[in-house]
Amino acid sequence: MPDPTETTLATVFNNREAIGQILIQRTPLAGFVLCHRDDQTNDHVETFAQAEDAIEIARYDDDGNYRPLKTAPNLRHGWRLNLADADQLGRTIDYFYPGRLAMIEAWNQNRLITTSLRDTLNRQSGMYRIAAKISDEQIEEVVGNFCRSSDGCLRTILWKRDGEGGVASTELPPEKFDPGFDQTGKNRRAVPLLCQEGCSLLVNECREAVKGETNE
Amino acid sequence: MEHRLSTALLIVAHGSTVNPDSSAPTLAHAAEIRRRDLFADVQCAFWKEEPSLRDARFLFDPKTIRKVSVVPNFISEGYFTQTVIPRELELNGKVTRRSDGQTWYYGEPVGNHSLMTELLVQRARETAPDIPENEISLLIVAHGTDLNENSAVAAKREAEKIRALGRYAQVLNVYMEEFPMVSDWRELTSTPHVVVVPFFISDGLHSYEDIPVLLGIAGKGSDSAGGQGGDFFQRGPYRIDDRSLFYASSIGTDPRVADIIVQLASRAAGADDSEN
Repeated sequence: MPDPTETTLATVFNNREAIGQILIQRTPLAGFVLCHRDDQTNDHVETFAQAEDAIEIARYDDDGNYRPLKTAPNLRHGWRLNLADADQLGRTIDYFYPGRLAMIEAWNQNRLITTSLRDTLNRQSGMYRIAAKISDEQIEEVVGNFCRSSDGCLRTILWKRDGEGGVASTELPPEKFDPGFDQTGKNRRAVPLLCQEGCSLLVNECREAVKGETNE
Repeated sequence: MEHRLSTALLIVAHGSTVNPDSSAPTLAHAAEIRRRDLFADVQCAFWKEEPSLRDARFLFDPKTIRKVSVVPNFISEGYFTQTVIPRELELNGKVTRRSDGQTWYYGEPVGNHSLMTELLVQRARETAPDIPENEISLLIVAHGTDLNENSAVAAKREAEKIRALGRYAQVLNVYMEEFPMVSDWRELTSTPHVVVVPFFISDGLHSYEDIPVLLGIAGKGSDSAGGQGGDFFQRGPYRIDDRSLFYASSIGTDPRVADIIVQLASRAAGADDSEN
């Protein structure tokens, strides 16, 4: 019986060579080599060999700032991770992009449920309850700025703005909602980072917009 | 033990968008429990980090995982354990049967477990290993005045339990923002040695900066959560007014919290042999 991790990874990475900003190359000995996609030809990198090393690599950006959103396009450069097998690869991807492999698996099995941003905001309580007061116009701007792939987040948005099926933000290009599109803009076959519901950081941005505290 | 083959563990915690150390203990406990191979799968989910509490609903394949035990890595019952986590995970109570056939069991927060008392005592002993306990005043520090949280009550309960052991000269629950204040430790204690243990799930701004300032072992702004805050735990004891002050890291960073999580998960799923 095939190892479930290998089966999942084989399905996810079939004919794909990247996920987010990470390039994944197979080695002749059934291992894997991972690096930042910008570092494919860079030999002056620090080498690591454990899945857990990804935790530290993913924690700070090139300037040493904490990365609260792991799918933000600010993964640091200058590292190479040599992994022995598919099990280590799975764990490593989960450290770089927590939960994203599981979302792809759920999506492939037709059990991933999307939640509209309005439903997400209407569900909030406490200090975030006020976020539900955000207008459609403000959502356009907040989502357009916060979620854009160039400097916000590399996820592919699957959720709608509301129960009417309104697009999350018309300020984002149609490719932002296409799982087949490489959100880094490198136009390679990449595993998508699926976003089935607005994250807590976006909820906070909506709250700030309502409170008039955005820095725009 | 067979039930564990199809049971997964989900550890849920707060996480932080500004403090990189907030999720570290939870991830470490998960890695340790994963290493023990007790569950079909072990995952974490966070209110403020990834994977999110909402993501958690899709982390376990219902074809292979039939039961999920949820353990909140929180210091006490409160707003998050009673409102946020059940809402985000779509839990109906202690047992939730989902349409996909999975059953989710919701356990008690880590801070509620009786072993926590033992961990606090052990942490105090490890922080001041050469000092006789009857010459020590042990201070359990909680935040206090937390909105809808009961960490102050939990700290008081733990102090009472340790006091009942009769080993320490004094055992006090103290707070950052309500009386008895941690900043009054000189007046509150009379022993030559004082051991301070923060009653928090993780280290961060409170244990790295706020409490050291309140104790008088750091000036304001001398360290930050993102800097070398952990140095405070290494540099003691601090000599202040002919007293020696020992300062421990947050109790939630203790590796033995993993034991608590395992027990709570088993208890939640009704699998703990010692359950009544």
